[in-house]
Amino acid sequence: MNEAMMNGFSRESQLMMTRRQLFSRSALGLGTAAMAGLMGPEMFGAAKGKAALNGGLHHVAKAKRVIYLFMSGGPSHLDLWDYKPKMQAMYGKDLPKEVRDGQRITGMTSRQKTLPVCPTKYKFTKHENNANGLWVSELLPHTATVAKELCVVHTVFTEAINHDPAITYIQSGSQIPGRPSLGAWLSYGLGSANENLPNYIVMHARTKHAEQSLFGRLWGSGFMPSRHQGVLLRSEGDPVLYLNNPAGVTREDRRAQLDALAALNRAQGERLSDPGALERIQQHEMAYRMQSSVPELMDLSKEPDSTFKLYGEDARTPGTFAACCLNARRLAERGVRNIQIFHRGWDAHGNLAGEHGNQCKDIDQGSAGLIQDLRQRGLLDDTLVVWGGEFGRTPYCQGRLGKDNYGRDHHPRCFSIWMAGGGIKPGITYGRTDDYGYNIADADGNQLKPQPDKHKWTPGTMHIHDLNATILHQLGIDHRRLTYRYQGRDFRLTDVHGHVVKDIIA
Amino acid sequence: MERVWFLVAVVACSGQALAVDFSREILPILSNKCFVCHGPDTKKKDLVRLDSFAGATRDLGGYAAINPKQPGESEILARLHDTEEPMPPKDAEKQLTAAERELLTQWVKEGGKYAKHWAFVPPKKHRPDWTGNAIDALIGRQLKAKGTDFAPVADKPTLARRAALVLTGLPPEPALLKQFLADKQPGAYERLVDALLASPHYGEHQARYWLDAVRYGDTHGLHLDNKRAIYPYRDWVVRAFNRNQPLDQFLIWQLAGDMLPEPTLEQQVATGFVRMNPTTAEGGAIPAEFQAKNNFDRVETVGTALLGMSLVCARCHTHKYDPIPQVEYYQMMAFFNSTAEPSMDGNRYEYGPTVKAPADVAAWARWEALKKKGEAGAKELAEFQKTFKPTLVAKELPKPRETKLLERGEYNLPKGEPLQPGVFAVMGEFPKDAPRNRLGLAQWLTARGHPLVSRVLVNRIWQRTFGEGLVRTPADFGLQGEQPTHPVLLDWLAVDLQDHDWNLKAMLKQMVMSRTFQQSSARRAQVNDPENRLWARGPSFRLDAESLRDVALWSSGLLESAMGGEGVKPYQPAGLWKALMHPGSNTKNYVADKDARQYRRSLYVYWKRTSPHPMMTLFDAPNRESSCVRRSRTSTPTQSLALLNERQRVEMGRQFGQRLLQNAKDDAERLNLLFELVASRAPNAAERAACMGLFNNLKARYAANEKDAQAFLSVGDSPRDEKLNAAEHAAWAQVVITVLASDIAMWVY
Repeated sequence: MNEAMMNGFSRESQLMMTRRQLFSRSALGLGTAAMAGLMGPEMFGAAKGKAALNGGLHHVAKAKRVIYLFMSGGPSHLDLWDYKPKMQAMYGKDLPKEVRDGQRITGMTSRQKTLPVCPTKYKFTKHENNANGLWVSELLPHTATVAKELCVVHTVFTEAINHDPAITYIQSGSQIPGRPSLGAWLSYGLGSANENLPNYIVMHARTKHAEQSLFGRLWGSGFMPSRHQGVLLRSEGDPVLYLNNPAGVTREDRRAQLDALAALNRAQGERLSDPGALERIQQHEMAYRMQSSVPELMDLSKEPDSTFKLYGEDARTPGTFAACCLNARRLAERGVRNIQIFHRGWDAHGNLAGEHGNQCKDIDQGSAGLIQDLRQRGLLDDTLVVWGGEFGRTPYCQGRLGKDNYGRDHHPRCFSIWMAGGGIKPGITYGRTDDYGYNIADADGNQLKPQPDKHKWTPGTMHIHDLNATILHQLGIDHRRLTYRYQGRDFRLTDVHGHVVKDIIA
Repeated sequence: MERVWFLVAVVACSGQALAVDFSREILPILSNKCFVCHGPDTKKKDLVRLDSFAGATRDLGGYAAINPKQPGESEILARLHDTEEPMPPKDAEKQLTAAERELLTQWVKEGGKYAKHWAFVPPKKHRPDWTGNAIDALIGRQLKAKGTDFAPVADKPTLARRAALVLTGLPPEPALLKQFLADKQPGAYERLVDALLASPHYGEHQARYWLDAVRYGDTHGLHLDNKRAIYPYRDWVVRAFNRNQPLDQFLIWQLAGDMLPEPTLEQQVATGFVRMNPTTAEGGAIPAEFQAKNNFDRVETVGTALLGMSLVCARCHTHKYDPIPQVEYYQMMAFFNSTAEPSMDGNRYEYGPTVKAPADVAAWARWEALKKKGEAGAKELAEFQKTFKPTLVAKELPKPRETKLLERGEYNLPKGEPLQPGVFAVMGEFPKDAPRNRLGLAQWLTARGHPLVSRVLVNRIWQRTFGEGLVRTPADFGLQGEQPTHPVLLDWLAVDLQDHDWNLKAMLKQMVMSRTFQQSSARRAQVNDPENRLWARGPSFRLDAESLRDVALWSSGLLESAMGGEGVKPYQPAGLWKALMHPGSNTKNYVADKDARQYRRSLYVYWKRTSPHPMMTLFDAPNRESSCVRRSRTSTPTQSLALLNERQRVEMGRQFGQRLLQNAKDDAERLNLLFELVASRAPNAAERAACMGLFNNLKARYAANEKDAQAFLSVGDSPRDEKLNAAEHAAWAQVVITVLASDIAMWVY
């Protein structure tokens, strides 16, 4: 049983086991189901979600796990995914007022005298997919090769126009800090399928352009119990904080220490007739198992050369995005259900050519390799992979417009993400934007009026709440029913919004 | 908005146990199951409103939802039991249970009378029909009703440890413990309690809870998350608790110290509370947007920390459950909307109004001493004031900013006429002579008749003493919150706090002196109450992150007693900040302290809001981006790793081991000393066997492998006594680390 199922259960009625029952068994032999019954959610460690694994929390799950590749800073949809050839003819001209249509502009470009149209300098090529083909920029040659696996959504939108609120919004459903992150919601809803590894893992990939901040809240648990916060898998120092024994302490020493610790906790548990003591002994045991399972996870020495052909040689260097992707596959294989990689540096205000080139080099082969690898291992069907950032970038230039280089400001009204596997239709695109990639458009390319908003879903669009609702749906969770009561209100990741975009579901 | 409440006198009489109690039994059902359509925010004119008697009895054309004259004819009854078109509708998310349907039926048949939600009615002291301690009388009464009685009193060592941890966050000093155990005279326990209340560690420990509630952090919190000038506020809080400043005054200074006549430096520093909201200076941010967001945050913090209510809903629309109209949210916001600082922090350490204040707690004391000298100390005083440090404070603009209701909470959708500052009508009137500013707000909050503030505070004092509150949802006293387990007691304590000049030490003393607190905390086979809602056993709960570290620092002898000043930086794994931070941030590099500051109490650990110290967050500390009045207490494998492997924990084990070897003559006594320090008692046979088994095992292991012992003993900066036998020292250190990681050391019990 996972914790969301238990939330609201009256624990008052649960019978307390007698001392005799409790302590006559071996401390480690007590089944987790019994544990779940005994402990309130607050006491219950890593929620066990095997029931949910099969059936889904609310409906049959298409995906058993999710790997979210988060591109922090706002990748330019116009230079990567959203092909707008008609912009070339408008080069340098002021963006028509009717296109801007009242959109508020950040403090960085609001004082600019003009908003000159800035077509991409990159060449786009059409790649065969399962529909009308997918235009991909030359910056993403590897990703282009898996076009048949991708569902590229061009019409994701948000209200936030600055990083901190926007990334907090897409990751927690609110622009103001304090709510649980998407990952925490999934931890709460899905529980764990692996008793040797944490159920929510976060990685930070290296970048040359660390121009935004990340925040603990993006994988934090907000008002939920803190065990739902993401566990960082690091490339520097201990892969999991404090994983390694101190100098001069062997695994045998630790075993002896844990046995003594268990004896102490049992003695204390007996003194207070406290069944929670056994639960805590189990957490120590899981830590002990993690001390071998995590190094085993991180040990790439048995990976064949073919792996590095797929992910690229970068994957041999810990901390690179490619290495994180490889880790993600290894985690997925081991039953971890909730994996997120953050890659910073997409905030190209003034030197897009310089920065996006490096950024794409960082992530291109790794993401493509991950898709191919999951596919060849039969994992893609039940693994949902999501790629995207917190907003897009403007079609007008910020700062000096040059043929070879330019900058783009933040753009909330439309941006592109892709999803793959996990029951999402492969090889399609969804949604259309106008000729400037500025507004969401109808099938003929005409700007939608009124602007779509979060209050009512418009076909062909995907508000960030819709994105999160769809992610949850694929994992067997109804976003309207996954609630956590805090301060008298049943909170949801999607607040009072969100619509599952069934059009992209296979 | 129309809000007609029919107050019925609630007769507290056990003989009428069968009559339905609207506020405690009916209103929660209506709120949870009906208000979603028929509540305060109902927009459709033709829909019945069930949040007031007037609404429920409105003539609907010859009939009414509730017919007070002929209750049996009430439409509600028909719909409740209708199989075709029931209420709630068949497809409603929340359905009634059979018991709830029955209660509603009974209530309507009894006339469908309304009463105000209990938490909005000012608390009253019931005329005591008991003798002695009210806590024990009222807890004991319910125990009797359930056919049981108090558990036996805990043994003296356990009691001493419990009281010390609850009041000071540390175990009792050995001398104090010894004195207490030897004191066979009546009043021994009271003397112990008085000594604990007088300890400077008392204020440090009590301050911690308040710092969570006000979301104290040493950084701005958003975007670059740069350093912020604010720690003199934290030191002021510690001092205020140690001096036992009356809590009403404590609040008034924080909300409006700057508006008091000729405000003192302390009164100004206290207004750091108003400036505690996270701020940004992100390049593209729009000032008006953040002016609104900063104020949302302030209003909602007042809601959580002082009113015990979420106000978040009312930011966008009239509250669905609680009688809080949206316009009142913005009237409340108007109190805060005219502070003088800019809406963005400019990534600066000081932004907006600041004052300079003494640099730490000792400096505050010295400053006061110098001031007392008068003319004689003037020159020295002037010199001393040069060491003062800046701290953010509140100041009012000469001309107030205009505040309007924001539609859907959007900063760019102001609506209607400008609003005057105002309070939530359901919580009582604004004092007649009070100014319409933060000072008036503070007076309203601390006025005798305020229904919430004293209850909310006393509930949290109970919570930190007993592990859980009398209201188990300390952040929600509204209609959706839990009812108090002991309502009469909660009210009694709330009024008692006010009757005694808001004296926190007296309130805590009353609590820890109670029989209820002194009970053994062992679970009782014959009492089926896993959550201890009856309080039929003493408190038991895991210590908070700060105390876990402090107990280990203290028992190992490493604890540095200096108080206050800039946040301290214990070891932290490399790269944690850098992996997150913008290159322009001045908090991207964590540089651990190299001196005794490593070993200060955890209250002083530098609090970077976007990445607090992992030894705090791993053990459920909040990130202080928003108000937190109740921490979760989880148990995870990553905690286990931290307890056994973290550098400072290992170092504390080494120092503690050294202390044992230096201060006790043989291994048996060493173990006794270890237990005396962390458990205030000697080990029992099982514990002795476990510890000595581990010790002998590791001593042999390390004797055979001297290099491992040396490596292990080299962890941490503090020097070690090289004369000690390395194998013995390392083995003792391991035993210490193990005991410190066990429930024996980590729990209050």
